[in-house]
Amino acid sequence: MTVSSDALQHGVEDHIHPAPEGFIRKYVFSIDHKVIGFQYFITGMLFFAIAGSLAELIRLQLLKPEGAIMSNQAYNGVYTMHGTAMVWMVIIPLVTGALGNFIMPLQIGARDVAFPWLNMLSFWIFPVAGAILFASFLVGAPNAGWTEYAPISLQGPPGTTLWCVAIFLIGISSTLTGLNFMVTVIKMRCPGMTWTRMPLFTWATFATALINMVATVALSGALAALFMERVFGVPFYDPARGGSPVLWQHMFWFYSHPAVYIMIIPAFGVISEVLPVFARKPIFGYKMIAFSSMAIAILGFAVWAHHMFTSGMAPWLQLPFMIVTMLIGIPTGIKIFSWVATLWGGRLHFSTAMLFAMGFLITFTFGGITGVYLAAVPADLHEHGTYFVVGHFHYVVAGGSVMGLLAAIFFWFPKAAGRMLDERMGHWTFWLFFFGLNGTFFPMHWLGLFGMPRRYATYVEFAKIYPPAQLWNIVASASSLLMAAAMLLLFINILRSLVRGRPSGINPWGARTLEWTISSPPPYYNFKRIPIVLGLPYCFDEPLPYRNLDNEQDEIPKPHSASQAWMEATA
Amino acid sequence: MGMGPGFWPVTIGLTLLGIVSGILIGILPLDYLLPSSSLNVTDRGADIDFLFRFMSIIGNAIFVYVTGFVIYFAIAFRRRKHEPIESIGVQIHDLPALEFWWSIIPTVILCVLAIMSIRVWYLVQYGTGAPAFAVEVIGHQYNFEFRYPGLDRGIYNEMHLPLGRPVRVLVTSVDVLHSFWVPEFRLKADTVPGLVQNLNFTPQVAGTYLIECTEFCGVNHSFMQAKLIVEPQAKFNAWLDAQKKTAAVAAAPAASVAPSGSLALAGDAAAGKTSFKQKCSSCHKAEASDPEQDGPDLEHVFTNKAHPTLVNGQSVSPAHVAALIESGYKGSGPEAMPSAQQTGASAKDIANLTAYLASLK
Repeated sequence: MTVSSDALQHGVEDHIHPAPEGFIRKYVFSIDHKVIGFQYFITGMLFFAIAGSLAELIRLQLLKPEGAIMSNQAYNGVYTMHGTAMVWMVIIPLVTGALGNFIMPLQIGARDVAFPWLNMLSFWIFPVAGAILFASFLVGAPNAGWTEYAPISLQGPPGTTLWCVAIFLIGISSTLTGLNFMVTVIKMRCPGMTWTRMPLFTWATFATALINMVATVALSGALAALFMERVFGVPFYDPARGGSPVLWQHMFWFYSHPAVYIMIIPAFGVISEVLPVFARKPIFGYKMIAFSSMAIAILGFAVWAHHMFTSGMAPWLQLPFMIVTMLIGIPTGIKIFSWVATLWGGRLHFSTAMLFAMGFLITFTFGGITGVYLAAVPADLHEHGTYFVVGHFHYVVAGGSVMGLLAAIFFWFPKAAGRMLDERMGHWTFWLFFFGLNGTFFPMHWLGLFGMPRRYATYVEFAKIYPPAQLWNIVASASSLLMAAAMLLLFINILRSLVRGRPSGINPWGARTLEWTISSPPPYYNFKRIPIVLGLPYCFDEPLPYRNLDNEQDEIPKPHSASQAWMEATA
Repeated sequence: MGMGPGFWPVTIGLTLLGIVSGILIGILPLDYLLPSSSLNVTDRGADIDFLFRFMSIIGNAIFVYVTGFVIYFAIAFRRRKHEPIESIGVQIHDLPALEFWWSIIPTVILCVLAIMSIRVWYLVQYGTGAPAFAVEVIGHQYNFEFRYPGLDRGIYNEMHLPLGRPVRVLVTSVDVLHSFWVPEFRLKADTVPGLVQNLNFTPQVAGTYLIECTEFCGVNHSFMQAKLIVEPQAKFNAWLDAQKKTAAVAAAPAASVAPSGSLALAGDAAAGKTSFKQKCSSCHKAEASDPEQDGPDLEHVFTNKAHPTLVNGQSVSPAHVAALIESGYKGSGPEAMPSAQQTGASAKDIANLTAYLASLK
């Protein structure tokens, strides 16, 4: 395809704003998408540490059938806060706020997002919402699980109201970010970057932004109603006063099922970027992968009630939800098969990012398969509300979203910091995390099938009908320590590399998307001249498909010498 | 170029592995995956197990292929040491025929699965014919109440069903959401206030089964279980008749029975205070500094003039207090205190708790 000569001659924008002066404008109330991305990253990782510690408390409690360390009341608060924080304060902000903000504008050759001030507002809502959420520990943490089903949430401790406020706020932040990213991708791609030349991470961010913008408002409505009922006694959900408890579930899942895709589609995007770079070959089936992201995003709006097969809706209504849920398996399968095919015939470099991407293929596939078990209504009647579900969604969220997130951290850290992470520690992180994840969540599947309900602070009666219950819980708890060790190692690696990491240079991995053509870390304005795109970024046998690059590096990028040593060491 | 070293042998090997393990999943009993004693405990349970087996065969094959190929490709296509760092892989972008088949085959499999699921769904929802009778299940915080035709009161935490008779279970709640789940029956329905759901099945094996609440219902959610006894029709009828004759609510636990050994142990009030915080404090207040709770206030329980007796009507003595902690308290309505068995309190814990409460004079 030809690029108009007009764009070639003038670029899109010829003026560059000066970088802000002063600490506050530079690092605190910054409007630079990269700094905002870092802010999301730091805040999100901090909450990750807290929510991860809560997970370890859960695992400690379940060491004994009668509960090892705390009262029922305390335990209920702990798992509720773990789930809530992991979903809204960790994974969604990290995969959309941190990754999306830092990577997407660079990948489309833009100097910033469409609405930089709105972006700053989106970010600053996030730590405030997080603080409000964790403050609920001071007044009595919410305890009905991250789903806060009515009417038990109406009886919940005072912290439940803070929970409402915190999630409402983070919802506003998500909606604004979704809007911002939609406009950015539609309007701000550099010349020549057609829809079918867009990098797959940007496709994924676009699909995610669509969900964020459309679905989150349903949750806001549900939360506003819950707040009104708790504070002013307006009866929305209390059946004793004419409300409907099932209404909450419909509203909640209308957002929260798409939210699962908000968490996983960016990870899909990461995998689609990492695999071709380290296999040194084009992504297999580019168009099908991009199309599948959109298909999943759109179909994802019509499956919410598969969380409610036992909840009491009109029985016939269960069937369409089952069928659409099964339909989602098809684009998801296409993606997995395409990624596996991408590995075929490659020259695989086992960097840490690549290991996480390949580990993702295994763990996410497993989580996807157990998802089909839950989609089939009759089987779900057995599995719903048990540890089978807990196992399933942790394979998807930890084995999918978090694996993708970790791949992204190891892949883009050199671009963001200008320094390499330590690959040897990275390999340890991967293997600890991979075995820890499987050891923790795999036993949960049969624990659930044998009769262990979720959200149980104690499982004395269950241990009587299934005596190995305690053994498998001990296995899960012990394995969870491996994951904790992996995360600790990651934190150390990041802090150490910020100070002592080897300089990464422009393009340590030999990657071909636009962000790898500018210096690391990128300058304030990203691109001195707006680049012009001539083709897909996944053809390793061709010259780089760009013109007008700052450093005129219009040739096949070679791995930087700094990274050559580890590549050879790990080959 | 060919498919690479060892591609076809590996593919054939994975196919065989998928088929062989699939056959094993198909013919072996599911004891290692699902509660054992219990295959075919109900007709619907058997249908659901069949569906589960079918999904496991297909899912297993997909997982074997994906994992197998990822590992094989990782070995076969790794960059060798002698290859230059900038060497590249096969520059192939897609293969429409392959993509066509890997879209169509899963679609067909999912269609088959959907049809099988719809059949079982219909049987669970509407049954195979008119049920012999219906039992109502009513969820309370934290008890299951069962109501039988011809019996004008509820039975708490013990459900009886006749063997081999189709039954309809009607499920509802009086307060918050609960869920009625019998793991060995494979069936579950949430109890929703203001809404009645139904489950239709026929119990096929006599025995005692566990009923669990699987929808979070409050602080003591994890103590909410009940017993389900499937027995021959004659025994069931005898049980139901006996229930009808018992006019009064015999709810008070048999506390006159001496608790098993806890009194023989000397209690430690300090340890009792710790146990109290863990096991009791979500419902009871013990000291002036504790927050108010829903359950009876246990400050000065041994000397409280306003309440000279325990909730079960017995005089306040260490033996009776210990007995009450051990047996728990059901009452005639929804209020309940879990038994020591449910809370996991040992005889030593009970002695400590009793000593602690006695120390609050």
